[in-house]
Amino acid sequence: MRSKIFRSTFFVAIIVFLSCLVLIMGVLNEYFVNIQEKQLKSELVLASTGVEKSGVSYLKKIKKDSERLTLVAPDGTVIYDTWTDASKLENHGDRKEIKEAFETGIGESHRYSATFTEQTLYYAIKLPSGDVLRVSTVRLTMLTTILGMLQSIAAVIMIAFILSLVLAGIVSKQIAKPLNDLDLDRPLESDTYDELAPLLTKIEHSRREIEWKKEELREKEKEFDAVTQNMDEGMVLINKKHEVVTINPAAKRFYGYTEDPVGKNFLLLDRDVEVSKMIDEAEDKGPSERVKEHQGREYQLHASRITSHQNPIGTVILIFDITEKAFAERNRREFTANVSHELKSPLHSIMGSAELIENGMVKPEDMTRFVGVIRKEASRLVTLIDDIIQLSALDEKKDLPLEEVFIKSFIEEEIETLKPMAEKKNVIVKCTGDEVACNVSKQLLHEIVYNLVDNAIKYNKDNGSVEVNTSSFNSGNFGSAKIVVRDTGIGIPPEHQPRIFERFYRVDKSHSKEGGGTGLGLSIVKHAVQYMNGDVTLESKEDVGTTITVVLPVKN
Amino acid sequence: MRSRFDEELSRLSSDLTTMGALCEETILTAVEDLSKGNTDAHQHIAPFVEEIAGKEKAIESQCLKLLLQQQPVASDLRQISAALKMITDMDRIGVQASEIAEIIGFLDGRTGSECEYIRQEAMETIKMVNGAVDAYVKHDVDLANKIIDMDDIVDDLFCKVKAFLIEMITNNPDDGGYALDLLMISKYFEKIGDHAVNIAEWVIFSETGVHKGGA
Repeated sequence: MRSKIFRSTFFVAIIVFLSCLVLIMGVLNEYFVNIQEKQLKSELVLASTGVEKSGVSYLKKIKKDSERLTLVAPDGTVIYDTWTDASKLENHGDRKEIKEAFETGIGESHRYSATFTEQTLYYAIKLPSGDVLRVSTVRLTMLTTILGMLQSIAAVIMIAFILSLVLAGIVSKQIAKPLNDLDLDRPLESDTYDELAPLLTKIEHSRREIEWKKEELREKEKEFDAVTQNMDEGMVLINKKHEVVTINPAAKRFYGYTEDPVGKNFLLLDRDVEVSKMIDEAEDKGPSERVKEHQGREYQLHASRITSHQNPIGTVILIFDITEKAFAERNRREFTANVSHELKSPLHSIMGSAELIENGMVKPEDMTRFVGVIRKEASRLVTLIDDIIQLSALDEKKDLPLEEVFIKSFIEEEIETLKPMAEKKNVIVKCTGDEVACNVSKQLLHEIVYNLVDNAIKYNKDNGSVEVNTSSFNSGNFGSAKIVVRDTGIGIPPEHQPRIFERFYRVDKSHSKEGGGTGLGLSIVKHAVQYMNGDVTLESKEDVGTTITVVLPVKN
Repeated sequence: MRSRFDEELSRLSSDLTTMGALCEETILTAVEDLSKGNTDAHQHIAPFVEEIAGKEKAIESQCLKLLLQQQPVASDLRQISAALKMITDMDRIGVQASEIAEIIGFLDGRTGSECEYIRQEAMETIKMVNGAVDAYVKHDVDLANKIIDMDDIVDDLFCKVKAFLIEMITNNPDDGGYALDLLMISKYFEKIGDHAVNIAEWVIFSETGVHKGGA
């Protein structure tokens, strides 16, 4: 814009200057011609008076370098000429100015020289003597004037040129200055041309809108970041070229990537053939999933295509840790299988015995034994179902009534009910320690103590012993009760110890019915203890014995 | 022009990574089949090997096209020439994994579990191939050097396997054929390890311009 203004100003100045020059030259020329003519005429008048008074001798006194004066006789012959010898001049009678002078008293004419660079002016006047006096002068034409002045004209043009150059530069700069100084961030505050006001208002409006949109976008981005940064699931966004666009910290952790992989190919993070296939599937068909084992944990990868206006623009990959879920799923399946097995085996015994009796294949004297089997198995089923109900009740975390229980006397009562069983195995059961008052659910405490002591007797050796010790201690601000059940039994091999609290888990894989256990006892103990915010620990040595310690908070 | 070239180079790199991943998958499948005694192992491996061969052809022509059309120099040239060499080694890894699969078919469901060293050798080989591809992907010269050093472990394990099998044949001449099959498998693992070393060497070449393999 500045250059445009500069050029226009410059050309305007030059054109105006040149046309002025031409006009002035024309006017000046005219003016000079007039002046010259007047001078010539007055000179002629002067000369004619001179000639009148003193004749040819006057003319002879005139210097050669002034205007040319010629005296012509009425017949046209030249009497005298101040420049040349009159005798050499031809007859002037037919010259226009002389003829006019003879006829009217005054004559004038002008003639161009052969080159047109000179113009000769003639004035003639008729003297009273009848002769004609003529004055002539050479006048330069305009062209000659210009050619003569060429140098100075060129100099003037040059100066004008430079001057307009400089001025045009300054002017254009001045004009453009407010525009250049325009602060587009605060367009309305700028001091500038009125013509720009609507434009500036529009700019200001758009600017505010953009600012607002930007702010909104930033907010959205922050929100998105906050969500993705803090989620446990990994998330990776890749574009069509499979370059990472966004990756959240969880995904970075998953891939063990410390630097920023944004902009790099996803293959750099994960080149698993299955994962590549998953991404291809997601791009071609739609959502796709894979389960991948990674560093000992199970992950589910989910890929789905991102489209914008029906054009695929990339893929989002979500990474879920499903280790716990898979583990729970496996546990549930195992539990169901175990339950069905445990329920079925006594039913098979019952059905077998019943069928034999039905078909009359049992001798009357054996009847008692068979009915005994049916009763025993049925009672086993009842125990089992009771245990399962107990467990599911614990799973549900139903609210159980809490009451104050004196643990030592409570345990002594429990031991009393188990005495017959202990006597059968020749096991001595005793309770030692201090009396501790505890605010617990009586039902759960019963489950804990019963199952523990029951197990201690069941898996004891002949002539073994079981000792239950109760004590209280303070852990932090809370008082706790400690129940230790120590037996001298067969013990639990170390490889089984971590799993002993699982449902239906048994050290003896044959699921021996000998002891009549359901495999749920310790599981119930663990759940019951957990329910009361307590803790249960196991310590066992094969063939030496097992010690199970239960710690319960006194107040719940 | 340059940006297109860069794009082509990054595509070459990702294709090579995919091919490496295929090699890893192939050898992993072979080892799994061996440990399970799958006699149809060859059928599992065949599609992988085919895919690897196809990738080799594709990458090869891509490299040649780049060499002809772009006439790369310096590190670009190194990257492309190293890629040309690496695909040969990757292809060999695929072929040798399929050879292993073929031998597994002759084992009649036996898994070579008698010899713990074979399992160790297989694990080390997998680690080497994994590491070599990792080194390429991450431009990690240190890792590549580590892979080259790991070759000694695999060589050592191969010797142990050999000694074990000799003893096995002496004690139980009837198992001679089985022992020889195991020896072949072990040898192939050892060869795969060598190819992993080659790949690692080319990674170093493409990064530093110095090729360890001498000459």
